[in-house]
Amino acid sequence: MSLAFDVLLAFGVVFTAAAALGTHDRVASIAGFVVTGLLVALSLVRLGAPDVALAEAAIGAGLTGALLLRSAWRLKPAESRVSPPIDRIIVALIAVCLSGALAWAVYTAPGAALYPALVSERLAESGVTNPVTAVLLNFRAWDTLLEIAVLFVALILVRIVAPAHPQPVVLGELMLPFARIVVPMCAFLAGHLLWQGASVPGGAFQAGAILAGGSLVLMLGGFAVPTPRLLSWGMMVALLGLAVFAVAALSTEALTGTLLLYPDGAAKIWILMIEALLTLSIAAMLCLLFCGMPRRPLK
Amino acid sequence: MTSELIYICAGSGLVGLAFYRLATCRDMLLRVLSLNVLAVGIAILFLASARDAGMTDAVPQAFVLTGIVVLVAVTAALLALAEQIDRQRDE
Amino acid sequence: MTTVLHALGLTLTTFGVSFLLIAALGVWRLPDVLSRLHALTKADSAGLALIALGAACLTGRLNTLLTLGLCVVLVALSGVTIGHLIARAHLSEGDLE
Repeated sequence: MSLAFDVLLAFGVVFTAAAALGTHDRVASIAGFVVTGLLVALSLVRLGAPDVALAEAAIGAGLTGALLLRSAWRLKPAESRVSPPIDRIIVALIAVCLSGALAWAVYTAPGAALYPALVSERLAESGVTNPVTAVLLNFRAWDTLLEIAVLFVALILVRIVAPAHPQPVVLGELMLPFARIVVPMCAFLAGHLLWQGASVPGGAFQAGAILAGGSLVLMLGGFAVPTPRLLSWGMMVALLGLAVFAVAALSTEALTGTLLLYPDGAAKIWILMIEALLTLSIAAMLCLLFCGMPRRPLK
Repeated sequence: MTSELIYICAGSGLVGLAFYRLATCRDMLLRVLSLNVLAVGIAILFLASARDAGMTDAVPQAFVLTGIVVLVAVTAALLALAEQIDRQRDE
Repeated sequence: MTTVLHALGLTLTTFGVSFLLIAALGVWRLPDVLSRLHALTKADSAGLALIALGAACLTGRLNTLLTLGLCVVLVALSGVTIGHLIARAHLSEGDLE
């Protein structure tokens, strides 16, 4: 019974992705991509990864769809140079071989997983009970630190290249009641997801993405105009997360002698502090990635 | 046929589709979109292979989560660069 | 009691899914943007509400009803706003021509 559901879901994912990639209308492809992202989030739940499903739905489908839609109006349409059919047949054959080889390699990969035993035997001392949060913020906190750094590098690139700020058209009277309900709910949901990420699926990234969504509602509805001052504040908040994480890493080095080894018994407090600031910082970074950076006037 | 095999096929199907579209398309937005689909397909493959007799592994989940966030950063950067390329072409 | 609840849940979910199918059919076959929008927002919200009620009956817990109720409220809210925005954009675009 659930196998039939899995088959339908997998078929839906591939079908919507093919539909999204097959059209030449930009808005239709982006809409198809968002639908694919949501179906992928559902299949990730079926695969037993609810944290990843939350992040994929919020960041992968929602925020990426918003970014792509924003650029759909700004990028010029490409010259349609149709490749000769023989080229396309060769590429299609290569694509089919590639996907077949991947499927075969992944399916027949030998060996038992060695991480679950390692994670579950150390979970009690990690400070949280959700294994994904424990891995992200305690066992592999180094990867998370580098991930925030990557987000920051993308922000710097966006600042240097400096695309224009999105100028939303006056959107109409319904945005105000919508914002009045949705923005407080976003703040509440973000705090809730952050707190419950310690024991059930949730966490800093998902909470940050929802908070970014609420801020985008404010910005696109015209309630928070992206003045340079507001954007500078956003930049400060974005920097704050990376700075606090780096300072925490260095101070763990000073306190316990190893980088990112939290002191005994205090792991939960450290994780919570880092996670809370990470949420704000990720929200600010995602928002700034969408709306561009404060302009510095050229001298 | 287990459910993991179904999702492995879905993931590799997405990878193949994205690869085909990346190779044959000239529109930059569609290229960024197919890059995203490629990453999502790889994420499904990763998680489908991490599932071992009904229980899932926390470490690949953390990696995929990191990957999704990095993907959105890369997408934003690529789109900013694409707009810059358009502006350079105008001048 | 539980079998009644279970049967009620199945009926509600079936109705909800058929509403969603009708919405999809409407989006596919209706000629005009505004009529498609009408079909989509009405049938989608109604279908989702029925499915949420049915799912809550199937699990038989009040907790699920509250959580799914929140989801339905959010979807209805965003559906209304998006419908309004699309209709506005369509009409103002029509004025420009």
